[in-house]
Amino acid sequence: MTESGLHPLRAEFDTLLRAVRDEVSEMGDLVECGIARAMWGLAERSVDLCNAVIEDDLRVNELQRLVRDNSFSILLREAPVATDLREVMSHLHIAAELERMGDHCVSIAKLARVLVDIPERGPGVDLDSMASLCREQVREMLGAVVGRDVDRARQVAARDDRIDRVYHRVFDDLIQRMIADGDYVYRGTNLVFIAHHLERIADRVTNIAEDLVFLETGVIEELG
Amino acid sequence: MTVMQRVDDPMEMPVPTTEVAGVPVSELGRVKLETRHLNLYYGDHLAVADAGFVALENRITAIIGPSGCGKSTLLRSLNRINDLIPGFRIDGEVLLDGRDITGDDIDVIALRRRMGMLFQRPNPFPTSVYDNVAYGLRLAGRMSRADLDAVVERSLRRVVLWDEVKDRLKHSALGLSGGQQQRLCLARALAVEPSVILMDEPCSSLDPIATLRIEELMRELRGTVTMVIVTHNMQQATRVSDVTAFMLAGERRTGELVETGPTADLFSKPRDRRTEDYISGRFG
Repeated sequence: MTESGLHPLRAEFDTLLRAVRDEVSEMGDLVECGIARAMWGLAERSVDLCNAVIEDDLRVNELQRLVRDNSFSILLREAPVATDLREVMSHLHIAAELERMGDHCVSIAKLARVLVDIPERGPGVDLDSMASLCREQVREMLGAVVGRDVDRARQVAARDDRIDRVYHRVFDDLIQRMIADGDYVYRGTNLVFIAHHLERIADRVTNIAEDLVFLETGVIEELG
Repeated sequence: MTVMQRVDDPMEMPVPTTEVAGVPVSELGRVKLETRHLNLYYGDHLAVADAGFVALENRITAIIGPSGCGKSTLLRSLNRINDLIPGFRIDGEVLLDGRDITGDDIDVIALRRRMGMLFQRPNPFPTSVYDNVAYGLRLAGRMSRADLDAVVERSLRRVVLWDEVKDRLKHSALGLSGGQQQRLCLARALAVEPSVILMDEPCSSLDPIATLRIEELMRELRGTVTMVIVTHNMQQATRVSDVTAFMLAGERRTGELVETGPTADLFSKPRDRRTEDYISGRFG
């Protein structure tokens, strides 16, 4: 995280603020990694990879608890105002979004684990490009949060419609396959859920963009 | 001509020109007090420069800023109590209800009756509780004992002190606790029905409970009295005030009004970097 906005006379405040920034940053890294590993587990039919995602989510949850603890201490002991107050509020909300994104990764991993023994029928659907866009969105948004770059956050949020378009294409593709092949319904339904979880992760990226806009401008703005 | 005769003729009032947070003050409420291009001097030293201060009617305006920035000097110029300091000089306008009160023709006693004041340390007179509250009324003219009793009781009730002192009205006010003394001083100010009360760090010598009582009183008086409070306690400004003005002194120790805005805005998204740095504790 950048060292912007620190306080020469408030060392304890800065220690807590740095901790919150670092915790949010680590949560973001774990979520991005979680998407990759869950989709890799799906592609490789690897139960171990899927289990690793579920395991990592415990750390994501623990980090959110730390963000809440440290934010509470800041609010209680440091009485932040202005940008400091907005930063604490924004990071609390960003951490909550990342925790939910971690849960989506776990859901994908669990679905992928179910599909390990169920064979693909015909060419695979285009979930990989959706997952790759999704990871890119998460990575870009984390960069915007670290750099406090509102313009970049707005650009990332504006790109959410790319994922929506792929999602609808994947959704239609899977429905058509299930209509055509009754034996595909079980696998197809699980893949629809995976696509839906990816789409929800991308939506939460947009929410984080809104948090960053609030942090930097004090304005609550609906993006996307 | 006294101030008492000059005021409350809306048809003659000039339209205030000041903006608060970019919004013309006329859109936020009626302006009770306004300073225009106000320069305040102690001898040759310019203590406050070009201040455009605004207090809305029946609202609470806080003035915050570091020590030595001219907060108290500005506050004390509003009812001309600084006139008592040798070498003090006002240049510019202080408008009360649209009328300049800086001129020599102003009856400052009448002015100060309209603008009561609370100080850092409670300053009750060394007389009885009753006589403290009745003091200003007696100065103002004859009043029947029954009327005087009624005003004293009403004033003490307004500051929620009546139940605590009703059985010792004839006892010395100096026997009260610090918080009670400060509420007594507020009752004394309220007894003469001022339209403005100026408060210069009124809670700085009080404990947290007594402080909260004063703040609660301020909230209750809001709507009937215009209040201006100088405070070092930014949490207090956040809790009680509608509008906050931030002052800062430059290298020559001359104070300026950096930013004035609705309190919620000033403490959540200040417009000036210097305000942000001060309220966030980034000076140093």
